[in-house]
Amino acid sequence: MTLYRLSQLTKTYNDRTVLDIPFLEIEGGKIYALMGPNGAGKTTLLNILAFLDVPTGGSLYFNSRPVQFSDAALQPLRKEVAMVDQHPILFTTTVYKNLEFGLKVRKIARGERERMINEALEMVGMQEFAQAPAHRLSGGETQRVALARAFAVAPKVLLCDEPTANVDEENQAIILRILKQINELKGISILFTTHDRSQALSLAQEILLLNRGRIVTAANLDCEAPRRKLAGNPAG
Amino acid sequence: MNLIVDSFLSAINLILSLDAEMIKIVEVSLSVSAASTLFAGVIGIPLGFFVAFESFPGKRLVITLLNTLLALPTVVIGLFVYAFISRRGIFGALDLLYTQKAMVIGQVILVLPIVATFTIAAISRIDERYRKTAMTLGADRLQTASVIFREARFGIVAALVASFGRVIAEVGISMMLGGNARGFTRTMTTAMALEYDKGQFVLAVALGIILLGISFGLNLLFNFFQGRYDR
Repeated sequence: MTLYRLSQLTKTYNDRTVLDIPFLEIEGGKIYALMGPNGAGKTTLLNILAFLDVPTGGSLYFNSRPVQFSDAALQPLRKEVAMVDQHPILFTTTVYKNLEFGLKVRKIARGERERMINEALEMVGMQEFAQAPAHRLSGGETQRVALARAFAVAPKVLLCDEPTANVDEENQAIILRILKQINELKGISILFTTHDRSQALSLAQEILLLNRGRIVTAANLDCEAPRRKLAGNPAG
Repeated sequence: MNLIVDSFLSAINLILSLDAEMIKIVEVSLSVSAASTLFAGVIGIPLGFFVAFESFPGKRLVITLLNTLLALPTVVIGLFVYAFISRRGIFGALDLLYTQKAMVIGQVILVLPIVATFTIAAISRIDERYRKTAMTLGADRLQTASVIFREARFGIVAALVASFGRVIAEVGISMMLGGNARGFTRTMTTAMALEYDKGQFVLAVALGIILLGISFGLNLLFNFFQGRYDR
């Protein structure tokens, strides 16, 4: 099933085109790695897919429906996706209340909220931190809670901007394992940006290479040939 | 030197004896200042929040105007409000002059820019990622605004503490619009000015000590709550 379909999609800032994608389809249930050098347009694309930013031109379909870029139309769509920033920020309250926020927004009943929060915290191995003040956590713990907060709301797709860029090796491995679990156990599609080719190859089923706003390679890693080619490709 | 020491010791005695006149003056001061701060907060916090949170034409002008109003002298406010509520003013029929209500009106005008500008500063300091995070979690505009408000809570409390400190220490508005009527509109500052005129410093020094004590206590309370949060 196609989750996103982008057609002639462009984004321009002050006459400078930062994104120019003639056609791209992102399928549901898969893990995508979005690679490319700094300034390639990765975060801009992620923001558009998260319905936080509006393209300058072209069309975007989500769940086979055209996206209308008005504030009123985008707000309900944002409930379908979740995004984790490169430097995630947690609300200055407890870890539990951080996870509760998105569920309250969706008007989920208290008992069900509690169950979903506990399940999400367990998945990231942070259940004993439920009542801890979130702003006191370390970088790796913050990233894990941010991931839990994002997938606790059961989104159709999880968008992660360099999820392991600012954590140590131990937490990198934990975060990659969590992302894999989210995809396999919950069936949530994941699209993450990274500069790390080995990480992309080990986690993603599809790799998108972005350069100067254009998709230069879209490879399905279920085939061995593109896997070998990407392993030696210097882009990213 | 003796004058200072003697006045100070007598003032301490007066405070310890809980002098009835002194208590009444403190009571009037606290109730008028609390009411002024409350009304200024009710108007100034949403105003400051709106200016900081929303984008609209003339936003910079509004901020400049509010910053300019920070320097408004109390006597100018006193004169301005007097022109409206004196017998010949358009609100003369309401008989507000030389009442606590008149003092509150003047003091609200005095501290409204403080509450609004402090709120603007507090909201503007909040990391843009809070807004983005709330939006990515599906929050609508109101829910996103409540997240920003919550993150800025200590800055907003600081705005109220600063406003309370300003109104309780002002003298121009209280004198001009309150009239310094004993038992009704006599505040700590107007009483101190009167006692100074009479050359009697004991009550003035006692009120000065209480005034500083209140200010210190408020800041202590604010820091205590902030400290609890920081731990």
